[in-house]
Amino acid sequence: MRLALWWLGRAVSAAATLLGVSILIFAAVRMMPGGFAETILGPFATADQKAELADRYGLDQSVFVQYGHWLAAVARGDFGVSMISREPVVSELWARLPVTGQLTLFSVLIATLVGVPLGVLTAVRARRAAVGRLLSGLGVSVPEFVLGSLVVFLFSRYALGLPAGGYDNVRSLVLPSLVLSFFAISITARTTRDAVMGVLVEPYVTAAVARGESPWFIIRHHVLRNAAIPVVTLLATITAYLLGGALIVEYVFNLPGIGSYVVQAVGRRDYAVVQAGVLLAATVFIVLNLLVDLVVGLIDPRLGVTSKGRRA
Amino acid sequence: MTALLEVRDLAVEYDSGERRVRALDGADLTVAAGETIGIVGESGSGKSTLGSAVGRLLPSTANRVTGDVWLAGERVFDLPPAGIRRLRRERLGFVFQDPIASLDPTMRVGKQLKLVLGSKGDPLSHLDRVRLANPGRVARMYPHQLSGGMAQRVALAIAMACQPRLLIADEPTAALDAQVREEVLEVVFSVAAEAGTSIVWLSHDLTAVARRCSRVAVMYGGRVVEDGPAADVLGQPAHPYTAALARSAPAMASLGDRLSPVPGRPPVLAEASHGCAFEPRCPYAEERCAKERPELHVVRTQEALCHRATELVTAS
Repeated sequence: MRLALWWLGRAVSAAATLLGVSILIFAAVRMMPGGFAETILGPFATADQKAELADRYGLDQSVFVQYGHWLAAVARGDFGVSMISREPVVSELWARLPVTGQLTLFSVLIATLVGVPLGVLTAVRARRAAVGRLLSGLGVSVPEFVLGSLVVFLFSRYALGLPAGGYDNVRSLVLPSLVLSFFAISITARTTRDAVMGVLVEPYVTAAVARGESPWFIIRHHVLRNAAIPVVTLLATITAYLLGGALIVEYVFNLPGIGSYVVQAVGRRDYAVVQAGVLLAATVFIVLNLLVDLVVGLIDPRLGVTSKGRRA
Repeated sequence: MTALLEVRDLAVEYDSGERRVRALDGADLTVAAGETIGIVGESGSGKSTLGSAVGRLLPSTANRVTGDVWLAGERVFDLPPAGIRRLRRERLGFVFQDPIASLDPTMRVGKQLKLVLGSKGDPLSHLDRVRLANPGRVARMYPHQLSGGMAQRVALAIAMACQPRLLIADEPTAALDAQVREEVLEVVFSVAAEAGTSIVWLSHDLTAVARRCSRVAVMYGGRVVEDGPAADVLGQPAHPYTAALARSAPAMASLGDRLSPVPGRPPVLAEASHGCAFEPRCPYAEERCAKERPELHVVRTQEALCHRATELVTAS
């Protein structure tokens, strides 16, 4: 019963969030200076041409009427067509999803496989704290376009065996994933380190030391799971961020991903694409957060969805 | 070395960078096999540091200045890491103040016991041993679902799982409700007695300790200032501090008596004490008490670190 109620509450709050996001983005794209007609027809278009275009896409109606039409269509599963390519928005985004999806997946995977052990190691070996700080400081302070451009230059100037631009197959995603994960590794490592250091001073760790357990036994059985919650939360946030925010790397490596596509659409005032893209990103965020809540409950029984005193 | 535990002239200092605190200032203690001993002292008297030092569990900010600890014939501070782990595993058991916090919150009780016992042990029999009703149900519970008393029994079951020679209980009942304290203590002492395990019970409650332990050691300013049979230490204290402590204990006073708190504050030493650490609060202090470190005096059945112990006892 409590579980059903919880799901209901989450569904309602997710719907409300999406509705709010859709209103915001709908208003925002229409508030930008220079509408669709000006952008497409250029500075020398006549008033008649503009009026005809506005009429064709219903842009002459009030924003509220437009939003009503759009929302009704979305409710039926119709996200409209791109006003540039005349293709359905859904198929345009769907075609670009694999690139962005794989890029995100690889980056998060690398960040987890490298960042988590690095964080644990720097937490346990206080002597290496300086190394950890340097690495994570470097990771968060070198912008992606700098590192990306450097990598693109090196791999295109010297034949180093990996494609540095365009998209043919998974091999094309190796370099972009590495560049993208650079930032993710450093903040994963830092979060892991802080979480592990927090757990290491807990009485149950002292108790395990007093029982004569070895450091790695304690890490494996008592520390990792207890330190996992902030790391899982962070990884979900990184995943959502990368899905939407991989655009700089997509630009630098000339990858046909969702991020660069939506940014391009903003420039062309391709309203339907921007609206659908932003809604997709919001949905990913909501779903990932829901997953985090479920996973956190599995990790720590005190925070379980069905347990008493659950935060709403 | 016939004693199970032998602490000789142990001095430990905590160095936090800007401040140095001498928690142990030459503590001596001997525990024979099978003996139950209570270590009594105020907060800051050094009893927890002494308990941790026995298992070499001092935090990294602490360093041993002088002295040694022998446990079951081994020099605790000279062992390599693997050696001290083996010693902790086979010879020592610890029970801490906050029982729920000393259990892993993300692991079921049965699994935590299993982790200690290895594949051969049966967790349920160990839960039964500490007199937990319905061991099967308890084994499936997480620590946050246990009451404080249940959690302390589980912690005891884990500490006693490998039949240690010495159990160190650091205020094991301080976090518990008054009603369950006696029950938990009863379990601690009977389980240890069945296994032939010695107990070192650290507490601030002189009368509670004297009721259960055969011997009491009183700590003050990082030293064991009096050590002797429980009834004698409580009934006829040889050290002025023990006497003051006994007078301040509600359980010791007869109805209508006034309780007299020990005047002044316990010391925080920055370096080795030049004289007796109790001198500023002592009603019997004389000139040499501030200048000379007191030697061990045997008075009746007790040993006391007081210049005037013999004289004061004869006078009374």
